[in-house]
Amino acid sequence: MVQNGPESRKRPFSLWSAFSSIRLTLFLLILIAITSIFGTLIPQQESAMRVAENLSPTLVRLLDSLNLFDMYHSWWFRLIIGALAVNLIVCSLDRFPSSLKRFRSSPKTDREKPFENLPPERSFALKQAFEPVSDAVGDLLRSKFRKVERKDKEKAAFFFVEKGRFTHFGVYLVHFSVLLILLGGIAGSLFGFQAFVNIPEGEGVDKVTLRKSRVAKPLPFSVRCDKFTVEFYPNGTPKEYRSDLVFLSNGNVVFEGPLRVNHPITFQGITFYQSTYGTLPGNRVRLSLKREGAGGNTVVEAQVNTPFPLPGQEGEATVTAVRSDFMRLGPAVQLAIKPDKGDEVQMWVFKNHRMVEERFPGIFETFPKLNPASFKPYTFFLESMESRYYTGLQVSRDPGVPLVWAGFVSIIIGLFITFFLSHRMIWVQVSRRDKGVNVAFAGMSSKNEVGLEREMDRLMVQVKNKLDKS
Amino acid sequence: MLNSIILSYITFVYFFSFFFYLLMMVMHREIFGRAATVITLVGFAGHTFAIVLRWIESYQMGIGRAPLSNLYESLIFFAWTLILLYLIVEWRTKNRSIGAFIAPLAFLAMAYASYSPGISSGIQPLIPALKSNWLIAHVITCFFGYAAFALAFGLSIMFLLKRLDRPEKKNLFLRIIPETWLLDELSYQMVVIGFLFLTLGILTGSVWAHSAWGAYWQWDPKETWSLITWLVYAALLHSRMVRGWKGKKLAALSIIGFFCVLFTYLGVNYLPGLHSYAQS
Repeated sequence: MVQNGPESRKRPFSLWSAFSSIRLTLFLLILIAITSIFGTLIPQQESAMRVAENLSPTLVRLLDSLNLFDMYHSWWFRLIIGALAVNLIVCSLDRFPSSLKRFRSSPKTDREKPFENLPPERSFALKQAFEPVSDAVGDLLRSKFRKVERKDKEKAAFFFVEKGRFTHFGVYLVHFSVLLILLGGIAGSLFGFQAFVNIPEGEGVDKVTLRKSRVAKPLPFSVRCDKFTVEFYPNGTPKEYRSDLVFLSNGNVVFEGPLRVNHPITFQGITFYQSTYGTLPGNRVRLSLKREGAGGNTVVEAQVNTPFPLPGQEGEATVTAVRSDFMRLGPAVQLAIKPDKGDEVQMWVFKNHRMVEERFPGIFETFPKLNPASFKPYTFFLESMESRYYTGLQVSRDPGVPLVWAGFVSIIIGLFITFFLSHRMIWVQVSRRDKGVNVAFAGMSSKNEVGLEREMDRLMVQVKNKLDKS
Repeated sequence: MLNSIILSYITFVYFFSFFFYLLMMVMHREIFGRAATVITLVGFAGHTFAIVLRWIESYQMGIGRAPLSNLYESLIFFAWTLILLYLIVEWRTKNRSIGAFIAPLAFLAMAYASYSPGISSGIQPLIPALKSNWLIAHVITCFFGYAAFALAFGLSIMFLLKRLDRPEKKNLFLRIIPETWLLDELSYQMVVIGFLFLTLGILTGSVWAHSAWGAYWQWDPKETWSLITWLVYAALLHSRMVRGWKGKKLAALSIIGFFCVLFTYLGVNYLPGLHSYAQS
């Protein structure tokens, strides 16, 4: 334990004294700093899965048992932060009474002690009458400080001014703010949620997927994305992502507006953020049909799940599925052909037919389901397929945010008070001498002695100037 | 573009100011010190002009944004804040020896920005996530913090060097370095300024992240490293304010803290994360 310092010596070891130790604070601050490094080197959460595949199972098991793939949410990391919070509370409570005492202290106006061992440059003699000098000093102090205390004694007039009494509490404001931010974080994780949802253009959703558990969470309303737009600069970098959203409650449109990056929309306490986007195959495909014996190809604009007749009247065909990337071989559609005579035939038609054949020679002969010529006498070609956007939204509710924001504001105020302001007390003594008067300045400051000396220098110059004029 | 050409010349101006500060310390001649200050002031004026010019040029290109949004611009701005803070310290302390430790840092930042092959000096338009007023507040506060920590780092190195000085040694270089108590006090004041700005930088970044990504804190490597840096300096401040640590221990902590700053700023770019636009 701490050896030096009177407060630690008078108490035996106890939990309280352990947690009121600033050594513990230093230890915990450094411990959090060092352990945090692991999480920046080891991929966390989702990205951990991909990396874990390349590591040895023993290592993965070891890292996983220490929760190192999600360390910032692990019990042990929370325990350290919790210990720091307790340490911070205990330290603050432990030291608060002495700060309160200093805040409440009322130094005597006619204190002599500050004037003991006064350096010679802190006083000057004048050949002027006592009354006007002491009144001038009083007036000047009144113009600089809110409250000036004066006490007249037989031989001298004493003045006392001060400022920044409240600065004794600056450090508690900082500590309180840290707790407020932590509290906001806890409130957010207990009562809030983080989710995402992908909405294809023109469609609506009434539930979102929670990020952590991947569980669907129903919304008390539904959201529709009428249109998604992505704009690019001439050099190809994205300029803006925009989703035109419509919020519906019981089927009625309640609110609509564009959602852009950095401009979230909050509806009924749930906030939507533009997060990502992508493309989905659309509902229209363009096929071309080659019928053996016939000259030229027939082009068909087909709608998904809507049958169309084959040009030779052998039956009808339906596009039953579209994939923007089928078997990692690019776009493809599934065709189901119902001939008038015989069984239904199903096949996949690739857009990159030639590329597939070059990469896997003989694939179409081996797998009739992949062969666009498996329904004689036709060969099907996929010319193009319509695609549409889907917008990816981050959806969250975080009731802790106001606490966190309040903590942000107060920590800045607290740090400013703690570092740049101090409790300054200045005593001025105007004493009668045989011929004239002597004016002396003494001061005390809770910190930043240099600043106090500067302030007293300025004050002395101002007093001298004032007296010279009169 | 004109601004980046000027900035690449400013790199050498800062090299010369470093050279003259060094000359002053080795030769013990005041005239070199004055020359160094003049060169630094000229460099700073040109530097300021080039940053303003870059801003104007971005408007002429039809992009129109503050020059604070990629690695090149941040390095240029970092060097600018470093020289600004240094000039204030030189003016307040009337001691030029600090320049010999700070000018090389500014030179290195400028040289890295201007001559590293991986860093593009072109003015690129802003991607959607960066289109926010919080960007400006975030970058300015962070880099003032970094610059103050860099000064504290330079002062701590000087502190450790000064401890080697003995009256019988007659080492001119060490003689001219201010007394250890002054270095200690100045370094502490720089840490205080840096800490306040780093806090502001983290908070503004956090508010921005909340509006761009929907979460004010996601343990992204850059966020985490800024917290690590914050914790190291918080430890330093507590050890001084409560435990009364001074001198060597504090100088060591301040040097460790600055390495955390460097890792937060540059090292993290080699880790995957959300701050990827700060890489090029």
